[in-house]
Amino acid sequence: MSKNQKAASKKRGKQLLFSVVFLVLGFILAFSYRTVGSSHKELDEVQSELFLQEEQYREELIEQQERNKELTEELLEKQKEVRELEEDFSSREKNHAVLVEKARDLRLLLGVIPAKGTGIKVTLEDADYDPSTQNPNDYIVHESHVLRVINELKIAGAQGIAINGQRVNSNSYIKCTGPVIMIDGRTFPAPFTIEAIGDPKVLSPALHLKGGVVDGLLRDNIVVTTEEAKEIQLSAIRDKA
Amino acid sequence: MWLPLLGLLLGISLGLLSDIQIPQVYNNYLSIAILAAFDTLFGGIRAYLQQVYDDWIFVSGFFFNILLAAALAFIGVHLGVDLYLAAIFAFGVRLFQNIAVIRRILLAKWTGRNKNSSTNV
Repeated sequence: MSKNQKAASKKRGKQLLFSVVFLVLGFILAFSYRTVGSSHKELDEVQSELFLQEEQYREELIEQQERNKELTEELLEKQKEVRELEEDFSSREKNHAVLVEKARDLRLLLGVIPAKGTGIKVTLEDADYDPSTQNPNDYIVHESHVLRVINELKIAGAQGIAINGQRVNSNSYIKCTGPVIMIDGRTFPAPFTIEAIGDPKVLSPALHLKGGVVDGLLRDNIVVTTEEAKEIQLSAIRDKA
Repeated sequence: MWLPLLGLLLGISLGLLSDIQIPQVYNNYLSIAILAAFDTLFGGIRAYLQQVYDDWIFVSGFFFNILLAAALAFIGVHLGVDLYLAAIFAFGVRLFQNIAVIRRILLAKWTGRNKNSSTNV
């Protein structure tokens, strides 16, 4: 009886021992299976993740490079545009300078600004009284004489003209009122000094052409003196009185 | 007889359900532990078949081998020497030897029984 009991308890103990052993064995097996399997999977995942990341970076890099290229092209285009604009600007500046010059010339012609420069001075004087002639008109200066001189000077390229200090422009009028002439509402007596700014080497020969203005004037018994001046100052046109 | 089987099932389920994560470095320990466990198991079976089986030798061998293998691997990792290879080699060789012995014993038994039965008939 006791022997039997002893044997039974021994058997139970043995079984318990075995069960513990098998428990440990099973645990180790399952655990290792799980961890190793999962770690393999993880490794794959990590690798694929890395690969994907690399791929992504590569794509981004390519994208960036393309963008860079585009931007560079744009930059070149813009630079070209800027250069064109600069050229345009410089040419416009030149144009501008030309226009300013032209405007100055036109203003000179209009007489709205004072002028100064080389030129010519023409003086028309009545002839001395000649008792042999009856008509005093034959030896006094008429407005037509003045006009002829002025026209000739204008044709010869005078930039500014003044008569007895009165600036004349294209709108001015010259009127004969007896022994005096009226220019833009002001009367001026003889002698008339016509000052013109321009190249004296052009203006003077223009007046002295054979059969030209000076010859005509001399024929009309007018005393004409021309003198080239280094510096002539013309005031601006005065308002009509 | 059912208790060990229950233990095995419990162990497997525990291993599968436990949420413990161990670093990759220690996978070596696990594999060696498995090898040691198998070695001891087959060793026990062989001893039983050779009628030299002893409970305490088996159980102590089981745990001691596992711990020894793990310790060896641990030392190897920290010394920079692959000592776990030694454990794998030793256990592997012994495993095959044990299995071979078991096979031979079983074969001998089977052929002997056949002979017996044939003589009976």
